[in-house]
Amino acid sequence: MSSNQWLATGNFFTAYKQEQRTFFTHLDRSVFSLFLALLLIWPMVFPLSNKYMLVIDSTLIAIVAVMGLNLVTGFAGLISIGHAAFVGVGAYTVAALCRVLGDSHGLVTHFWPIVILAGGLVGAVFGAVVGLPALRLKHLYLAIATLSFQMIFEWTINFMTFFNQGQTIFVGRVFWFTGKVMRREHYQFWYYVTLVVIILSGFGIRNLMKTRYGRCLIAVRDNDRAADAMGMHPGFTKVYAFALAGFMAGMAGALHAYLYRGVGFESFTLHHSISYLAMAIVGGLGTLNGSFWGPVAIQFLELQVEHFSGFAGEYLPSSMNLATALRPLTFGLVIVLFLMFEPRGIANWWRIVKSYTKKWPFRY
Amino acid sequence: MSHLTVSDVTLSFGGLNALSKVNMTIEPGLITSIIGPNGAGKTSILNCISGFYHPTQGEILYGDTPLTHCSPHEVSNMGIARAFQNLELFSGLSVLDNLLLARHQNLKYSFLQALFFYGKASRMEAENRAYVEHVIDFMELEPHRKSLVGNLSYGVQKKVEVARALTLAPEILLLDEPMAGMNLEEKEDIVRFVIDIQQERNTTVVLVEHDLGVVMDISDRIYVLDFGQVIGSGTPEAVAADPKVIEAYIGEGS
Repeated sequence: MSSNQWLATGNFFTAYKQEQRTFFTHLDRSVFSLFLALLLIWPMVFPLSNKYMLVIDSTLIAIVAVMGLNLVTGFAGLISIGHAAFVGVGAYTVAALCRVLGDSHGLVTHFWPIVILAGGLVGAVFGAVVGLPALRLKHLYLAIATLSFQMIFEWTINFMTFFNQGQTIFVGRVFWFTGKVMRREHYQFWYYVTLVVIILSGFGIRNLMKTRYGRCLIAVRDNDRAADAMGMHPGFTKVYAFALAGFMAGMAGALHAYLYRGVGFESFTLHHSISYLAMAIVGGLGTLNGSFWGPVAIQFLELQVEHFSGFAGEYLPSSMNLATALRPLTFGLVIVLFLMFEPRGIANWWRIVKSYTKKWPFRY
Repeated sequence: MSHLTVSDVTLSFGGLNALSKVNMTIEPGLITSIIGPNGAGKTSILNCISGFYHPTQGEILYGDTPLTHCSPHEVSNMGIARAFQNLELFSGLSVLDNLLLARHQNLKYSFLQALFFYGKASRMEAENRAYVEHVIDFMELEPHRKSLVGNLSYGVQKKVEVARALTLAPEILLLDEPMAGMNLEEKEDIVRFVIDIQQERNTTVVLVEHDLGVVMDISDRIYVLDFGQVIGSGTPEAVAADPKVIEAYIGEGS
């Protein structure tokens, strides 16, 4: 490698290993580290109230879930309308442990990282089972198969007395090295945990996409006939994609259970599945950074809509509930507009900004 | 290197016989061409060999291994690679990634190693990258290495298609009309590649092609198909003189 490792210009590779790096220049690496440091430090410098911290935390959890959805729908091209059900599977794994062991059992409160991983693994198993129709079905028919899982999930939870028929099942407060995590630091604590999960899985997915385990996903998306001829089993690859998505969703579900300190079925309905799909589309399907943009954008939009309807409600008759009408409307509008004008999502804007700043201040 | 034997293969779709009692022997190290009018069953026979179709009757043997009921990925792992007639590339990926995908079976590392990209994963990716670069060099695709396949011109995409099949390091390479829709210069390029593949890489080539000039020039053996039946076979000279073949191509009484 040449002497100047800070800039992208005049920076040549002399070995294939050098081209495998995540960051090509020191500049990229340091900007990224700085960004991570900011993410870790700001809650200590500007502590927000619990209300806002909760919004941020649920956005981060949505990011974990959308990362999974992006793997199966974005990279492997299999539309899944049952993603909230996979998130629910993760959450109900925690709920099941609470029902069997008691909600303040040591496993749930002290070994919560293991429980979160377990939520992911159970999600992966369910993902693989739900993905089995992918061995024979394609496109819309497969989407309907995932929709049926969503329905089965909701009905099962609603009728099982073990799961309180969908009513909230409480999850105990967790312990950290400093002792029990109390209400005051609860939301900040889960902010950090979710952030760590996002960073680790982000790097994991990024690495996977550079290897055979990631490339095969794109192969079955682009052309599963050719993928077959190139020596990979297309059906198995699709099942594997569903398992990966299930794993991420399961982790998101377990985090959700811990954050809200309770599991109820109304957080995992078809409505949520659709909104995960919307987040993935708005963020940019088939890109890693799209999984970050989408949830943030949708959450921001929802806050704005609430804010606006609160403001407009003062001038309207009280019988009109603007917020309930506006939310689905803006939501649908944003998806349609994105599909029409920017099907590659916000990730594409990011790409444009990046390629612009790469050359700045020169035009070319 | 072993023979690929197609014996008494019949392929029927409902009442239609796409292939009936086809017998072929593809000898190692040679260029064998399959020619015939449109709808004669040329692509069907390639599909049978590469596992996309399974013959209704008959048997396909590679050496002593039966291929009759293998699925495409099993066939490709045995060393029989296939380039498609209608481009079947992974259009959302770069040329480099398209070729690396063909190394799928040669990349042997565990999922965890891939997740952290350490040790074997990183090393094997680099090794296979070197192999892919060798193929890129061979097929003269250097300028297009990093460009998205979907954005390339038709002629280059055809070359990528052949290169991808070649990246599997096959013993037998099945090429389905690699020269269709190309201009003279591109055609000459591909012909040169086909000959290089046979001679330098010592690969058996099975070629389906409509351009009789090319076929007569480069083939060692020719099989002529018409209505799903083999109507003539042998060396180019023998086939060109065969009255049945002349009849199929030019018509009766000529």
